[in-house]
Amino acid sequence: MSLLTTSVGSFPKPPYLTKARAQHSKGELPDEGLKALEERATREWIAFQERIGIDVLVDGEQYRGDMATYFAENLGGCEVSGLVRSYGNRYYKKPVVTGELVRAGPITVDWWSWAQGLTKRPLKGMLTGPYTMMDWSFNEHYPSREDLALAFAKVLHAEARDLQRAGARVIQIDEPALSARTDELDLVVKALGAVTQGLDAKTITHTCYGNYDTVFPYFNRLPVDQLDLEMSNSGLDLLERFQREPLKKEIAFGVIDVHNHVVESKDQVRRRIEQALEIFPPGQLYIDPDCGLKTRTVEEAEAKLRVMVEATRAVKESRGIR
Amino acid sequence: MVSTTVVGSYPRIGDTSAEQRLRRAIAKFDERGISEEELRTVERSVVKEVIEEQRAAGISLPTDGEVTWNDSQSHFARHFDGIEVDGLVRYFDTNTYYRQPVIVGPIRWREPAVLDEWRFASSVREAPLKAVVTGPYTLASLAKGDGRPKREIVHEFANAIAGEVRALRAAGASHIQVDEPAITRNPADVKLLADAVATIAAERGTAWLSLFVYFGDVASALGTLTSLPIDNLGLDLVQGERTWKALASQGSDIPLTLGLIDARNTRRDDPARAARAALTLKGELPLGESYVSPSNGLEFLPRAKAREKLGLVAETARLVEAGL
Ligand SMILES: [Zn+2]
Repeated sequence: MSLLTTSVGSFPKPPYLTKARAQHSKGELPDEGLKALEERATREWIAFQERIGIDVLVDGEQYRGDMATYFAENLGGCEVSGLVRSYGNRYYKKPVVTGELVRAGPITVDWWSWAQGLTKRPLKGMLTGPYTMMDWSFNEHYPSREDLALAFAKVLHAEARDLQRAGARVIQIDEPALSARTDELDLVVKALGAVTQGLDAKTITHTCYGNYDTVFPYFNRLPVDQLDLEMSNSGLDLLERFQREPLKKEIAFGVIDVHNHVVESKDQVRRRIEQALEIFPPGQLYIDPDCGLKTRTVEEAEAKLRVMVEATRAVKESRGIR
Repeated sequence: MVSTTVVGSYPRIGDTSAEQRLRRAIAKFDERGISEEELRTVERSVVKEVIEEQRAAGISLPTDGEVTWNDSQSHFARHFDGIEVDGLVRYFDTNTYYRQPVIVGPIRWREPAVLDEWRFASSVREAPLKAVVTGPYTLASLAKGDGRPKREIVHEFANAIAGEVRALRAAGASHIQVDEPAITRNPADVKLLADAVATIAAERGTAWLSLFVYFGDVASALGTLTSLPIDNLGLDLVQGERTWKALASQGSDIPLTLGLIDARNTRRDDPARAARAALTLKGELPLGESYVSPSNGLEFLPRAKAREKLGLVAETARLVEAGL
């Protein structure tokens, strides 16, 4: 099996769930009512991925709001801030670390186990990485950024072990903030390593929209088995560099722009895959979107994923890849 | 008299329903539910509110909060020739984005970018309101180049920003600030920056011109920065902690804006401690003609925290003044 397809993590929430979340936050819908709809949406996304033939699945994170605050809400020593702007008219809340970080119990394991029970295909365990958690938090407690990143690493390592114990064979640790401060790349390696140390599961880290030029020499040093990169929004600039300086791990190659409403054509995606295959052998290469699809509509996300799978299938057929 | 100012940006929405009216208006506008004129009316009411919050907190030289900016790069670049505005890129380490300007030809100032906004904002106030422009070195650093040397690109952006400054001055702007965060990432490029600032300074007429550098330190470039043809140099003394030492040893002949209050963290700063730190520079620079400010724009904080930080700026300035 090679040239497998997968997804980065998040999928859009269907309108009924968005509405329910709003009602829930106003106290008009009880926890159980919301959870039932989160489960319904998760079931729908798992079924969709199976139907179109994606190889490595995600649960779509229908029960998560923001990828950082989701963990903040479930950790002791962490609160959630007021709204801050992300871009344009989009706003989000940030973790506020007010005391020592404590994980009272598993955070993502119940959801993972339940969702994995819906499918025979492998389902990724999804964590937000320690460096990103640190960089995206307001720090009112720890003396330095390094102290906070390593504190997050400690609780995330415990979470990863619990996921593995529950049966997860693939664990993804997202580090979108990877290139935020290029003088802290050693800290990224150290903190990520503190999460992945001693794990047997396949580990992945995803990053996107960063300064890849400076980060490039660190790619091989990241203590994970697979690197998941946004490529199409960056205009595939990186490929040339990978040709000169080979990657010594698997790569999941983003072929779908998640920031654009327009659904790519099959030919367009096929060309991107063909370009990737000029550098990476099919056994080393996974095909996925640039990033989480949660900012698209359900229809756009489904159409984009369909094109991705069809284009991958066409490439496999034409090259006789199994 | 030690004075108070802000760096520029301010959160345009808060956590109350009334404070979210601009968010709702933009969403409605995007769905064609309201006209552009209706959107502008809401936008302007928020600008007024932001100026009032600064006044109430004791900020003597406010800005319009950059309420209408999508980001600090494309807001200018889309008014220049030779530029196409492209996809989203992360803006430094702020977990916010900007639309990346792509250079496709010679860069020229075509029309004003912030003039109308400045006109409106200064009309709601008797005293001066600071106009803020993104600096040429930062525009050049964050844009996608076309293969030409950086020196050439910085030079063209400098002429374009000089055009904006000329328009602001002609309209009566008395206080103009140029933001150059990117120089903290590459202080070795300070000569490029110095040439660009000279180009802009030639257009300032009688306006007070300041340069603000933030998101890091400028310890190795401080000497060049304090000898630029400007009236004030703004420094981020939180993320740019290393600049303190350089300041203590080299001092400054021009007044500074001391970015003492942490604009990147919700933790409440101690004004007494900040003031004590500033007072260690007594004798090294014209402290009595200097300003106290947040370390960078306040838009990375929730609105309520930004408001609190304004108060801490004012309190710190009072304590510095008392210690002179
Ligand atoms: Zn991403």
